Amino acid sequence: MTATAGIVFRLAWRNLWRNYRRTAIVLAAIVAGIWAMIFMIAFTRGMIESMVSDGIRSIPGHVQIHHPDFRNDPTVDNLMPSPGGELAAALGGEDVVAWSSRVRVPAVISSERGSRGVTLLGIDPVAEVPISFVADDIVEGRHLENERDRGLILGRRLLERIETDVGKRVVVMTQGTDNEVVDRGFRVVGVFESEIASTEEAFAFAGRAALQDLLAIGDQVSEIAVLGKNRREAEQLHRRLAETANAEVEVLPWYELNSYLGTTMRTMDGFVIVWIVVIFLALSFGFVNTLVMAVFERVREIGLMMALGMKPRTILAQIIAESLLLLAIGLAVGNILAWATIHLLSDGIDFSFVGEGLEIMGAASVLKPSLGIKDVLLSTAIVLGLGFVASLSPAIRASRYHPVAAITKE
Amino acid sequence: MSSGEILKIMRPFTNLLAAIIALAAFQAAASESARDIVKAAIDQWRGSTSRGVITMKIHRPDWERTMTLRSWTRGDDESLVRVTKPRRDAGNATLAKKGSMWTYSPKVNRVIKIPSSMMNRNWMGSDFSNKEISRSDDIVDQYDHKLLETRRSRGHEVYVIQSIPHEEAAVVWGREVLKIRDDYIVLEHAFYDQDGAHVKSLLTLAIGKSGGRTIATRQRMAKVEVEDEWTEIRVEEMEFDVQLRDILFTLSNLQNPRE
Repeated sequence: MTATAGIVFRLAWRNLWRNYRRTAIVLAAIVAGIWAMIFMIAFTRGMIESMVSDGIRSIPGHVQIHHPDFRNDPTVDNLMPSPGGELAAALGGEDVVAWSSRVRVPAVISSERGSRGVTLLGIDPVAEVPISFVADDIVEGRHLENERDRGLILGRRLLERIETDVGKRVVVMTQGTDNEVVDRGFRVVGVFESEIASTEEAFAFAGRAALQDLLAIGDQVSEIAVLGKNRREAEQLHRRLAETANAEVEVLPWYELNSYLGTTMRTMDGFVIVWIVVIFLALSFGFVNTLVMAVFERVREIGLMMALGMKPRTILAQIIAESLLLLAIGLAVGNILAWATIHLLSDGIDFSFVGEGLEIMGAASVLKPSLGIKDVLLSTAIVLGLGFVASLSPAIRASRYHPVAAITKE
Repeated sequence: MSSGEILKIMRPFTNLLAAIIALAAFQAAASESARDIVKAAIDQWRGSTSRGVITMKIHRPDWERTMTLRSWTRGDDESLVRVTKPRRDAGNATLAKKGSMWTYSPKVNRVIKIPSSMMNRNWMGSDFSNKEISRSDDIVDQYDHKLLETRRSRGHEVYVIQSIPHEEAAVVWGREVLKIRDDYIVLEHAFYDQDGAHVKSLLTLAIGKSGGRTIATRQRMAKVEVEDEWTEIRVEEMEFDVQLRDILFTLSNLQNPRE
């Protein structure tokens, strides 16, 4: 059996290089196809990845806890007490990297020359560091020192829109618990920049305790953002926290907080398979044609081998081995090429010329392709599997020749 | 050493001490009086009631429109304004009460509370913001006042007072300069940004007697940086210390006028 397998393999290998030009052309097509397949998957993955991680950073966190009505009506009327007791203990668990409680209210920020509506976040700057984006992105001025800091951090674009600057005072106006207007002057102490320009206009940051004072809400908070180890483990984290939390709060994982992101992630896996199959279908015409030709050219030879005692099954195995060898070489070269391309582009591809369009999707304008070993294995398996199926028809035809008819065929 | 000698040595120090105390006392008095002047100017309206007719002219380079308004005020935190002309806008009304504001439009027959996000928007398309219409007394307590100079002009003393908002006051301006006449009529209220640039001014253009009081009868709010855009308010008739019913300043009266 092994001897036969050895012979089959050797014959297949030699047959491949008998007509090296044809093999090279098909191989080139396969390599190009595989390269495109892997690269496009990595590219799309990179895009989705950046979308999701930016999305999670702007949610922020893998799991969030709110008052049950907060998401429908994000105002000071729907607050919850600061986490204490069991919930605080659960938040100290090992699978929690960081958590932060925040006050989130819609507010208007005005300067001498303009005013804009924003989402004002009262944060604890120290706890917030690993969770949200503002800490890394302060480009001018300073970050908030602690949750009692009475300064304000604005985005670069907002600063430009309302024509103010670091060190100047602006007025923050929002609605208090009794529906009355509350306002106070804040000094702008820092500016942040974000890859997604709309974030710069949408958010402003203040100290949590300072904002609680302004709103006169004691130590109540609007949301608790929890960052786990990995976004894929969000489900377990969510389940654990939801069990501990009492019924008066709502605990949700990131893929439900931003269901667009969650759905995109799930669709992506399906999309990868569709993409592999589509590329393979395009490829398969040339591929099958080559195999058919290879069999057709060798009818007499196959007849001879059968006359010498080779079993139809071995003929079948040999043709299939030939096709799989071809595919395997193509896959190896294609994958290496794709890997090299991705490696070369690991600094990201600048798409700022279409940046606005990408922003609408929530993706940054510099995309870094990301190659997952899972995707490579999946594409290899699918290509080999479909390649096997595609080569069956010429192989079966070859194995059914009658030796005498085949040898005498002109 | 005799006591006389000690005194002699100490004299320069005591003189210095006296000078410091005098200076501090003077400054306290100066700032106190500046605050008092501002307070007196605001107090012209405090505690009294008024009823009157006002015309408001909004001017822009390519258009201009004039509205006639009836107004009622009580104290400094309750006011009701109703548009009577032009016919298109007649019936539109605004009620301001303790810093909150509601509008009523007969076309939609609804009372709408002005949310905090709209308080900085202009009022009826004028150069006044909703906030400026609904509040008036903040300037006394939320600012540090300083008397810059006292001028004489047309037989009156005119105090020039610089008011700088407190660090956390809900005021966007860097400073405001008020020119107040000795009969507590504000001649000019200028707004400067935090870089010291003059942004806009409320100028009194005419002073006259109305309802038995001397008041500013024509005032113009104009932006300095934009040319030819201003809003002028002219007092047509005004009565003070009139009897006003409580129901005047209620939401129900806003929607269904009884007076």
